[in-house]
Amino acid sequence: MQRRTFLTSLAAAAATPRLSWADAGSPAYLAAARRPGGDYALFGLDAAGAPLFSQPMPARGHAATSHPTRPEAVAFARRPGTFALVLDCARGVVTARLTPPEGRQFNGHGAFSQDGSVLYTSEVVAEGSAGRIGLWDAARGYARIGEFASGGIGPHEIRRLPMSDDLVIANGGIETDPSDRTPLNLDRMRPNLSYMTPEGVITEVIELPDLARNSIRHLALRPDGLVAFAMQWQGDPAEPVPLLGLHRRGAAPVLAEPKDEEMFAMQGYAGSVAFAPGGAEVAITSPKGGRLQVFSATGAPLWSVARADVCGLGPCPAGGFVVTDGVGLVARADQGVLSPMASSNVSWDNHLIALG
Amino acid sequence: MTHRLTRSALLALTLLATPARADVPEALDKDILPGFAGFTAATATLAEAAQADCDPQALRAPWNAAFDAWLEVAHLRMGPFEEAGRGLAIAFWPDPKNIGGRQMAAMLQAADPALLSPEGTAQISVAARGLFGLERLLYTEAAQANPAYACKLTAALAGDLARMAAEMETAWTGPYGDLLRSPGAPGNATFLTEAEVRQALFTQLLTGLELDAANRIGRPLGSFDKPRPERAEAIASGRSLTNVARSLAALHRLAEALAQGLGEIPATEAAFARAQTLAAGLDDPVFASVADPSGRLKVEILQQAIEATRAAAETELGALLGVSAGFNSADGD
Repeated sequence: MQRRTFLTSLAAAAATPRLSWADAGSPAYLAAARRPGGDYALFGLDAAGAPLFSQPMPARGHAATSHPTRPEAVAFARRPGTFALVLDCARGVVTARLTPPEGRQFNGHGAFSQDGSVLYTSEVVAEGSAGRIGLWDAARGYARIGEFASGGIGPHEIRRLPMSDDLVIANGGIETDPSDRTPLNLDRMRPNLSYMTPEGVITEVIELPDLARNSIRHLALRPDGLVAFAMQWQGDPAEPVPLLGLHRRGAAPVLAEPKDEEMFAMQGYAGSVAFAPGGAEVAITSPKGGRLQVFSATGAPLWSVARADVCGLGPCPAGGFVVTDGVGLVARADQGVLSPMASSNVSWDNHLIALG
Repeated sequence: MTHRLTRSALLALTLLATPARADVPEALDKDILPGFAGFTAATATLAEAAQADCDPQALRAPWNAAFDAWLEVAHLRMGPFEEAGRGLAIAFWPDPKNIGGRQMAAMLQAADPALLSPEGTAQISVAARGLFGLERLLYTEAAQANPAYACKLTAALAGDLARMAAEMETAWTGPYGDLLRSPGAPGNATFLTEAEVRQALFTQLLTGLELDAANRIGRPLGSFDKPRPERAEAIASGRSLTNVARSLAALHRLAEALAQGLGEIPATEAAFARAQTLAAGLDDPVFASVADPSGRLKVEILQQAIEATRAAAETELGALLGVSAGFNSADGD
């Protein structure tokens, strides 16, 4: 975006009355995508999976997070990220551009405080991949207001716990080369799930010592606080390992083992995780295996569907899940059946962010 | 800056027709379906022989013929391969924790007659069934723990293998093949466009080459400091290198079937020819020489030739088919 356009947009934003998500067409989902020309954008999708709006991004995106009250989304660059954009989805303008401090990189995910006044971003110190959580003043133009340690190496997704300002962070455990994502520490990685107060005081840490090479990367939360965490296996691909864990604070984690015949279907890789409406089912997707696997909230395998390059995943209000793939499909998956909802000539990126 | 797309505009995008091309029916009719018919026939012969006489010596020839036939189609890790875990149950390898061996020992010890009925055998762990379950019974000492039960189990596993082969052929000649031939038809949520079918078959080709290089050769190679000859595939039956050679031949035919009518693939053809010549000339049937520097080098050269074949096919055939690696599957985050 040109600086002049940006300033004009800001002025326009300041001059008009306060807007809500309804003014953005009440999108049901946000998703980053590559467009046919090779450029990138963040899209708002309606409940049927059709695009309502799109906002150009300067490079490939990864995930996004939505402001709890304002029709505002923060779209994060793909790791190692050098930018995040604050988008006014009602007016279709970029209202702020976040740049990590010198020597830091965004890791593709962020979360707002309960009142929407603070944005937390998942970051690493570029050299050594030590995890940081960046704090940004969402009430006043997204100035950087602080940071604290994430509790591990290579944090990926960060979420706020429901009805709370406490945070939960998936520290993936992988130290990467600052320039090209090459992993440097697979033989000594120690991923964890860290809970912390909004001041950064760690209150609980979950590790899986027998599965130290299972990088904990993505999170989904149920309204009652049950955390689902999705993992990516960095060990021998011929070893079948669980890729989904379920955890409630103060309890031991439960690992969700797939059915025998599906033990390698995900190729050791889960890219997204989500609960279905009602929270009785939880799913993970694997673009590498072309598979959606669904489990009960107690970790029992239920059903799966095959779809090449599937990754984006969210709840479907009508029941089950909505998935997206790299050839532009938005589809509903429910009880083992995949039903196309909408098709666009874009490549949907890793994550589908459910709003509201 | 904000784009509001109407439903009709979206519909128009999805309805853009792609011209019909011959590559998918070619690959199905000339390569894939004959391959599955051959696998059904070979496993039926093995099952009949095992039913008549479970003598391991006598069953080795039909077992090898069944394994040869499997390698004609083993790279098609889609649809019927994935359903009911058939692909895993037919050939459970690699198995670094020896799950299959431990399950086999436990079965021979327990000697449960319920596992010998067709329904019972189908419930046995995927790790203990199929070609590798039978290899343990025909080529190792395992059967000596309980020769009488091993005899019945051999017949049961051979029958189970033939059942799975017939089911796969039925699916490919019938409903699953129809899905590949009718992308975008009402009710076909598996393949929405012809490009998706081509992408799927192309992916099988590339994955097949990757697995030959990374598993069949890469696992015994291990690292220079820690070679792992004991991790080669099908050592007991001495098929490790044979499996590589036969897999390469099958993948070569798939590449040619996919390219047929679309154009030439000279770099891919040359790379296949080189890899297949190296495999044919290698005098190391179970990659036992990987711990020896000069022997190791020859195996590494074969691995590199297969990797080069994959790279050539990805570039050349990918361009011809108009497909490329998946947007998300190649991202890894």
